[in-house]
Amino acid sequence: MTIESTTVDTDSTALRDNAEVAAALGRRYEAGFVTEIETDSLPPGLSEDIVRQLSALKGEPEWMTEWRLKAYRHWLTMPTPHWAKLNIGPIDFQAISYYASPKNRPKSLDEVDPKLLEAYDKLGVPLHERAKLAGVAVDAVFDSVSVGTTFRKELAEVGVIFCSMSEAIREHPELVQKYLGSVVPVGDNYFAALNSAVFSDGSFVFIPKGVRCPMELSTYFRINAGHTGQFERTLIIAEEGAYVSYLEGCTAPMRDENQLHAAVVELVALEKANIKYSTVQNWYPGDEEGRGGIFNFVTKRGDCRGDDSKISWTQVETGSAITWKYPSCVLRGDRSVGEFYSVALTHHRQQADTGTKMIHIGKGTKSKIVSKGISAGRSSNSYRGLVKMEKGAEGARNYTQCDSLLIGKRCGAHTFPYMEVKNPSATVEHEATTSKISDDQLFYCLSRGISEEDAVSMIVDGFCKQVFRELPMEFAVEAKKLLEISLEGAVG
Amino acid sequence: MSQSPVPLPFIDGLRDAANLRLPGSGRAWLDTARRENLEAFVAGGLPDTRAEAWKYTALRALGQRRFALGDPAATAHSIDPHTLILPGVEGPRLVFVNGVFRADLSRLEALPAGLSLQPLSQVLEQDPEPLRFALSRHYREAGDAFARLNAALAGDGVVLRVAAGARINKPVQICFVGAPAQGDLAWHVRNVIEVGEGAKLGLVEHHLYNTPHKHLGTLVSDIVLQNDASLQHVLLQNAAEESTLIRHGSLHLGARSQAALHVLELGGALVRHDLHAELHGDEARLDTRGVFVLRGRQHVDTQLSIRHQALNTASESIWRGVADERSRGVFRGAIVVAEGADGTDASLNNKNLLLSALAEIDTKPELEIYADEVKAAHGATIGQLDERALFYLRSRGLPQAEARALLTTAFCRAVFASLPNETLRDHFSEALLAHLP
Repeated sequence: MTIESTTVDTDSTALRDNAEVAAALGRRYEAGFVTEIETDSLPPGLSEDIVRQLSALKGEPEWMTEWRLKAYRHWLTMPTPHWAKLNIGPIDFQAISYYASPKNRPKSLDEVDPKLLEAYDKLGVPLHERAKLAGVAVDAVFDSVSVGTTFRKELAEVGVIFCSMSEAIREHPELVQKYLGSVVPVGDNYFAALNSAVFSDGSFVFIPKGVRCPMELSTYFRINAGHTGQFERTLIIAEEGAYVSYLEGCTAPMRDENQLHAAVVELVALEKANIKYSTVQNWYPGDEEGRGGIFNFVTKRGDCRGDDSKISWTQVETGSAITWKYPSCVLRGDRSVGEFYSVALTHHRQQADTGTKMIHIGKGTKSKIVSKGISAGRSSNSYRGLVKMEKGAEGARNYTQCDSLLIGKRCGAHTFPYMEVKNPSATVEHEATTSKISDDQLFYCLSRGISEEDAVSMIVDGFCKQVFRELPMEFAVEAKKLLEISLEGAVG
Repeated sequence: MSQSPVPLPFIDGLRDAANLRLPGSGRAWLDTARRENLEAFVAGGLPDTRAEAWKYTALRALGQRRFALGDPAATAHSIDPHTLILPGVEGPRLVFVNGVFRADLSRLEALPAGLSLQPLSQVLEQDPEPLRFALSRHYREAGDAFARLNAALAGDGVVLRVAAGARINKPVQICFVGAPAQGDLAWHVRNVIEVGEGAKLGLVEHHLYNTPHKHLGTLVSDIVLQNDASLQHVLLQNAAEESTLIRHGSLHLGARSQAALHVLELGGALVRHDLHAELHGDEARLDTRGVFVLRGRQHVDTQLSIRHQALNTASESIWRGVADERSRGVFRGAIVVAEGADGTDASLNNKNLLLSALAEIDTKPELEIYADEVKAAHGATIGQLDERALFYLRSRGLPQAEARALLTTAFCRAVFASLPNETLRDHFSEALLAHLP
């Protein structure tokens, strides 16, 4: 399969000609290739021994091993969650390998296995020279380990730490010990506990006081090996007055089995800090009949600890067989701000249950939720969100808007917002609509000589504009393209 | 629910329930249905807050209470008939005191043609066969515990039928009066109502009390509207301040039928109102309007579920909530559009006023859509009175309390604007105003 790079190419995306559409139509899941790389992996199964081995393999200090074991023991006591709107078979946790790493661990980026670089190239990740052009610092996680981080020196000059989680545990244990698990506690939920026990790698970002991170930071996650799960852990700390924009992208090969991805992301924003977290999630969604695909069970939570801090989540979710994800904000500091912008697209037999939680604790806190759900084929797409105004949330405000777009007669679009208010000066507003692509709009486009596929993609693009606007430019282009490909064959 | 070694007083109080002689006892099918439902209730127990449908309503305190199974003096309480009068409502009347039919207070003479109206206790003793289907129902949903209990123990209620084509112009009034008994009492009432093809019915359901008490009442209502039927249902709930009322209604709408429901919830310490409506026939239409106004430590939980499963059906729901002092208001409004229910037009609007730092409002509008030719929207807000409006009224010389009452009443008014009975509408406004702290 020939694959084009997904870096910015504004002209061609704005003025796509029919040849390109045809090419896009011929494409299935673009990132569905497997890279033949020798991997070191632990045998499938989960036990205290596996957790110890994993920790030893990674050369972790004693406190980390203990932390993992504590999480594992807690996980054992937890019941498997019952899924409200999801149809999911039992997961065999013993059949999963909890660690897979490419052999020939690189010492530096130059020593990275060319095959690996090629793999990321196919994915359009500017890992190497292209990074310089794109101006994005990248950390890439392949199966269980981080394979390289770019732009380290430039970042170090301003005091920004951007490295893999394993490195952070070795080199910045005081920061890791202080913040790891402080936003998402070990026993928070079933999959967060599992992640705490077996997480293999992830990104660590620390922005010191008053620093505005000079470039976008980015991580690409890729599951390559079969029978593995990916359990990454991301921790971002923005000290007083710091700013960072972080991007995350995910892909996986096409396989008939369901692979598990259970990540935990923790964000800590101290006083006046501002964290912007964007995700383009494109894990393998399974085929038309719902065979295979990634189970994406992710816990993402940001803690606005300081006054006047801000955390903004933007996500474009097109992949995964099942997505279960509620990026949340704990608005603890006075006047802190939480935002959630989401586009979730499901097709074929994908199931998505996603949304956010905004927990207002501090005075004058504000949150805004914009969620756009698109369902096509026989998929099911739910928004599930919670807005909670605690007693002390004097003058807090929330505005929520959830819109769903249905394409086809056999899909489902659902909205389950929870609003809990305990403060009489707080204001909560929620609006939701469900509709299909209007025949009028479609007819208008067709009468102008625009093909049906193009018309639908234009209308969908317009429907999502409010969210795409929040994405960094490179991602916005990619997201738009992703939607087009994912919607292929949805009309007619 | 786990089985605790020591049964809850609530469950323990049902030990003799199996041997209770209820109207209709002795009929094999009815005895079986009652026994099975009782067993199911005892086995399942009271739902806890882990059950999604009871997330915001804890029943721990209720579980610790013990209720008497019946009131032997139910027919002897003296009730002032004047309290039963509602302005603008002059039709036939059926009165139940502590869940037992009272012929002396009812008005069943000269029923209009096409209307058959009887207490369930009579029907059960005479010919319960036509109710066999309705009364042998099993409630399987985890949240339906009280419907199970009701099915096991209900011995009275309303059996109402409107013949095809009959138009009942004067609304039928059904009253549920609570009166003090020896200790706390649990009463269970079961209504079976059918509006025939092309028929029209007005129904006013009134919950009231003569002297304060702490009873538990459960009421299960099955209403069926045949094709082209129409129903105006008004519910005024002014139960005793410390009483518990659990209401479980189901509404089935045939093709081109129309139902309108207006609810005013004022009384009760713990009130739960479940309404499951199914728009079963093409072009059926349902309008629901409701408001709860809470004070003290009241807890009112309204659960609305509207299911569209035919072509070109419509529903519009407008609900308001006001919570003051230490009260808690809970609202869930679910709209489900089933696969193939094209042409559905559904909307739900829920606005709430939170007036005190100790009060709480939890609301959860839901959309569950499985068809694409639909228009579905919902909106919900929780906020407070407009400071500027308050200031304006005060600057005009209105005292604070009066200004608040005026604005609160105005906030709730939208709900009753569509009530056709003007006299009753005015009465609602007054009752609402009187209830404000």
